[in-house]
Amino acid sequence: MSTEKHAELRRTVTPWGSFSWGYSDVGADIFIGLGLVLAAAAGASNVAFLFAGLVYVCIGLAYTELASTYPVAGGGQYFVLRGLGDIFGFIAGWAVLLDFTIDITIFAWACVDYLSQLVPTFVNSAHPWVHFWVVFGLIAALCLLNVIGVRESTAFNGFVSALDIASETCILFFGFLFAFRPELLIHNMQTSWPSPDQLMLGISYAIISFVGLESISQAAQETQRPASIIPRTSVGLILTILIFALGYSNLALGLQPWHPILDAHGQAIQFWQIFVNNGDNQGAAVALLAKQVPYWGAIAAFYVPVLGAVLLLISSNSGVFGSSRIAYAMSSSNLLPSMFQSVHKRFRTPMVSLIAFCGLAAIELIFAAIPYLDPHANAFYARFFDGESGLDFLADLYAFGAATSYSFVFIALIALRLIDPLSPRRFKIPLNIPMRFRGERVEFPVVGVIGFAGIFSILIFTLMTHPIGRVAGPLWLVLGIIMYLVYRHHRKMPLLHSQKHEWRKQQVDILRNAGELELMDEYIANVKASDERTAKESVA
Amino acid sequence: MTVIAGSGITPIGALTALLIVSAIVATVWWMLHPPASLVQRLAQEAETSLERMVGSIIVVFSPEIASGHMTALAAKLARGERSELLAIYVIEVPYTLPPDAEMPVEERAALDALAAAETIAANNGVDIRTETIKTRSAAETVLALAKREKANLLVMGSYREGKYSGAPLGRTVEAIAADAKCDVLIGVEGKHGTLLVDETRENL
Repeated sequence: MSTEKHAELRRTVTPWGSFSWGYSDVGADIFIGLGLVLAAAAGASNVAFLFAGLVYVCIGLAYTELASTYPVAGGGQYFVLRGLGDIFGFIAGWAVLLDFTIDITIFAWACVDYLSQLVPTFVNSAHPWVHFWVVFGLIAALCLLNVIGVRESTAFNGFVSALDIASETCILFFGFLFAFRPELLIHNMQTSWPSPDQLMLGISYAIISFVGLESISQAAQETQRPASIIPRTSVGLILTILIFALGYSNLALGLQPWHPILDAHGQAIQFWQIFVNNGDNQGAAVALLAKQVPYWGAIAAFYVPVLGAVLLLISSNSGVFGSSRIAYAMSSSNLLPSMFQSVHKRFRTPMVSLIAFCGLAAIELIFAAIPYLDPHANAFYARFFDGESGLDFLADLYAFGAATSYSFVFIALIALRLIDPLSPRRFKIPLNIPMRFRGERVEFPVVGVIGFAGIFSILIFTLMTHPIGRVAGPLWLVLGIIMYLVYRHHRKMPLLHSQKHEWRKQQVDILRNAGELELMDEYIANVKASDERTAKESVA
Repeated sequence: MTVIAGSGITPIGALTALLIVSAIVATVWWMLHPPASLVQRLAQEAETSLERMVGSIIVVFSPEIASGHMTALAAKLARGERSELLAIYVIEVPYTLPPDAEMPVEERAALDALAAAETIAANNGVDIRTETIKTRSAAETVLALAKREKANLLVMGSYREGKYSGAPLGRTVEAIAADAKCDVLIGVEGKHGTLLVDETRENL
């Protein structure tokens, strides 16, 4: 007789652990996003961050409600699967997978850019091959470490997150206290306001500063009392990141540099102008800003590049295991072939997933780096990709993947409010319209519609202003859908319809496994009352 | 725009700096203090009532009460709650003998049991008092002692009788448990194996 049992993930992630899971992913975004947005949106960078930030608040609230209602690993992909069905669940998951693979490359790239502040040999424009091989080496090393099952500890994650929050708070505190000039901010906003195209580009880059909330949802299955903890950690993360993004963008525009900044002709320029057409500076924006903060900058010049590099590397690693986790979850739901579920006999890690997605990350790196490595490729990139390469190339795809998956999550939020009103929601987004749907009292989320409009407009901005995003992004989705249809056909499963799911039974199991026994009782009572009501109505 | 002379500080900059620090600190503090769940509140209440309960602890030994395996637990409880620990060995003198009759075998066993209790207490860093008491009725003496010492917890060991004998945990243990005014913790010695393990083996 078999005695094998499915092992449940242990719930060991504490409130700080849950926060630092998200922070190690989202917190690193500003290290990349700040330079890109300043270069694109110039005097309107703070407005770009504000717009993206408001959309991000809506996204955050949606994820908070969904992750606390359905505390399972899988995140956005699971919510969409449950709300909209198999094929849309696949598309959302596939878009998130694109983001996770870009995550691996873009953060490894920026990690080396930050280190180049201390090690000049790593400067991409001066030593492109060294830069390429170091980034490639980091991706390969992360893949290897994950294959053999070595991961940074949660405690280390938490420690780095705490250190980074303290550091960023100090930079902003000293920056605003000693170097912020409100009149300079107003002057820059008036004289350097971008064109509408540039502003749209800036907004679509700004959204990448807020990508990564997915990580908290991914860890929901391992979080203690997820229905209570996740709303707190998500809202905490949203506020922290929003404060940093708005703080940095306003400070950068109103910063009186500690030391004069001169251009190639010896003319004094404003701080934000050092990012225009300068990929090296864009990749190390926070370190460059920290250096210009009076007093604190003297220390920050040394530790911020290292701290930034460590946080970016952790974020890159979160892309490695995030992609394998989501592939595993999609494979379990019959959205991807079962080979993504297979684990290595000796190391007990999903080797196929890890190698496949790290390999994809390496291919993305090659595409991003080619114009630096081979000058002949410049003409090709200038013709087809508007000359974008390096961080721009990666950020284009990152913005596309994020905007696509978030758009689906908003639709799923609205759908789940309508088709699953019985699941207790410990956290519910405010501003709802009470109504009846299929005989049940439901609450229609107004914020869901506002958030969808916001993120969908960013998706449109991305398609309009990102030459790579509008080609490679949809191509990725089309390839994925073809693969999905072939796989489902091969397995003799419905192609466009969903397979049968026992959502009620699943929800009871989810809440019981989450230790949310009060919610489980409430759910069972809701289901019973609903069934009795339906039975009475059918008799009548 | 106003700049505080010589410092490069503007009022708006200073205010924003303070707002950022307070907002971050407030957010992190709020995030790390979520409300307790029902289960957590129940656990908290149980812990509080345990703290109230464990004021002083008496470990009871007798020829019938084998508390050796419970002494370590009592010592750990006493250490955790900073309680006073008292170990007593009660020897019942039959009515056929005078009250002060010598009972060398039982007295020797008492010395062994109490010395072992002292060692366990010392290993756990707990102060212990020990006492050997001769009495006609062990149960009555233990109850009177518990009242005199204002004990909050009586700890006793027992063992399973092979079959139902009217008092499966022992006559004295059951009499004390039935009439004690304080909480009583009875530890029934295990049989060095569990049902679960045996079942698993059977399945294999």
